[in-house]
Amino acid sequence: MKTLTQKLQSFLQAVAKRFAVWKEYYRTHRARIHAMVGKIASYVFLITISYVFLYPIMKMISISFMTSADLVNPEIVWLPKSITLTNYDVAWRVLNGKVSLTNSIKYTSLLALLQTVISALTGFAFARYEFFGKKTLFTILLFSFIIPVPILLITQYNMFNEFYRAINWTGIGKGLNTYQSQIIMAAFGQGVNSAILILIFVNFFKMIPADLYEAGKIDGANPVQLFWHITIRLSLSTIVVVFLFSFVWNWNETYVTNFLVGDGIELFTNQLGKFDSLFNTRASTSPYAGREVQLVESFKMAATVVSIIPLLIIYFVGQKSFVQGIEKTGITGE
Amino acid sequence: MAKSTLKKITGKQSMENQNAIAYVFLLPWLAGFLTFVVYPFFKTIYNTFYQITPEANTLKYTFNLLTQGGNYGTAFRNVYFFPQLIDFVVMEITYVPTIIIVAFILALLLNTGHKGQGVFRVIFFFPVIIMSGPVAGILRYNGAGDFFDYLDNIVFRMILSYSPDLAEALMGLFQNFTMVLWFTGIPIILFINALQKINVNLYEAAKIDGATNWQILWKIKVPIVRSTAFLTAIFTIVQLGTFALNPVYGLIQNTIYGLGPGIGLASTFAFLYSLAVFLLVGIAYLLLGRPEKVKTVSLSSIQKANLEAVAARRTALQNKKKGVSA
Repeated sequence: MKTLTQKLQSFLQAVAKRFAVWKEYYRTHRARIHAMVGKIASYVFLITISYVFLYPIMKMISISFMTSADLVNPEIVWLPKSITLTNYDVAWRVLNGKVSLTNSIKYTSLLALLQTVISALTGFAFARYEFFGKKTLFTILLFSFIIPVPILLITQYNMFNEFYRAINWTGIGKGLNTYQSQIIMAAFGQGVNSAILILIFVNFFKMIPADLYEAGKIDGANPVQLFWHITIRLSLSTIVVVFLFSFVWNWNETYVTNFLVGDGIELFTNQLGKFDSLFNTRASTSPYAGREVQLVESFKMAATVVSIIPLLIIYFVGQKSFVQGIEKTGITGE
Repeated sequence: MAKSTLKKITGKQSMENQNAIAYVFLLPWLAGFLTFVVYPFFKTIYNTFYQITPEANTLKYTFNLLTQGGNYGTAFRNVYFFPQLIDFVVMEITYVPTIIIVAFILALLLNTGHKGQGVFRVIFFFPVIIMSGPVAGILRYNGAGDFFDYLDNIVFRMILSYSPDLAEALMGLFQNFTMVLWFTGIPIILFINALQKINVNLYEAAKIDGATNWQILWKIKVPIVRSTAFLTAIFTIVQLGTFALNPVYGLIQNTIYGLGPGIGLASTFAFLYSLAVFLLVGIAYLLLGRPEKVKTVSLSSIQKANLEAVAARRTALQNKKKGVSA
């Protein structure tokens, strides 16, 4: 009995000693321990938030491979029992993938190209020259960013409608129901988020030293040559950034497209918005129609995955440029 | 010859040339801006006073403001418009501050210089790239938008049994939390950029004066990023608006193609909606955008006494030195 209490006592003493050592260690290494704990806590927090960020996308990818049996099975959360590609096949058919993807890539690139060129010209004028009304115009440019789209779009629609009628340019492949209206707007620098693209250019062009232009002028270069040989040559990376942003925004833009193009052209993102109605008309002609009908959800998820694949490729190639682009708007800190 | 070239470069003549050259470069954008932004903006406002009916090849305008308030009266009587507009404003008011605060916290965590922050930045910016109306809509309405099953959660069940209202509010927040996070991509980058621009000497000076990290955050970082927060707020307000799931947008589109009042009513909806957006931007400006007033520092009596004592000691020392040298 005595030995037991002794044992207990010695054990307690040992614990106390250990504790004292820890306390001492904490006292001497306080800053280090605090930093360590803070670091771990911040990582845990960031990882949790990342999980929330990516949850819909991971879920979407996982559902897109599920059969209808897996979809209703409550035991299956992430990994489907048997991976099926049927969903993708149906989705591709419903979206009329071949046509709509080609259309989307073609028109989106064209719009992005036009927007980049016009934004560069405008940005150059604002960055390089002092001209009458510069401040006013620049303020209006920035203000135009907060004007909601519908208030402009209603009249734009009427204008295009009247314009096409006036020049007798209506029917299939002409006027409204084609991409022409949006191309015209982009060619005049009024595409999606034009103000931001111009702002990126203005802020980058301002960083080019004026001495270079002076030197060019002395060598007899005219303004177009200055623009081409100095500005453009020096800002290739910025041009890529603007082009990528413009591409992504035009790809994701559906409201203006719905208004001005409607059903005239099959575009990928737009088709995705009408998936349900398209599914009813198109899926019945697929070879899977006779078989067990899968829940539409997995088809839809597959379609969504397909629609963001081009964007994924762009993002992973030009990931750094996107972040730099936002930094280059230079609207921070001023 | 050389003199004339120099004159061309530096002289007044070149300024006049600059005007012409600049406007040549500006021309496409300026023409487009006048045609596709300035004119439509005022034309749509003009539309709101008229009943517009499409005829064979043109639109027929009939002034109708005085009959039962015209389009404005119809808009106020519309069953959908005002509830949707209020929903939109409530959404903006709850989302925008949440987005700004979350983005600022994430930016602080991503600006500590720890390893692997680039990866997180890539993840947080990712939604900006893929977020289009249809994609967000499909993810939201097909259950992938909510990130865990509340109904199975025991804590949630307890809350539900005590107060269904609170449970509903929580559910709304959680249901849309992913969507809220998805709007933080660009704000995070803006905040990180602003934080990196802060002069490090400020932190060091504060630390020497005995400031804690918490004080540095509140007294240095937060005031400095205030202007960025304003820009972020504007950006977020606009982004939430252009988000194609915005119910008001759908209503406007359906009204245009619909029978009856058509374009005039749609213009009125668009105008009232724009007013709401401008109002929100105005509120953001009042809260965040005004230049800060310069505060005059008033010293406490103890501080004054201290300063006087220091000054007295200094003069005493100088006198002593003078005495020695003399």
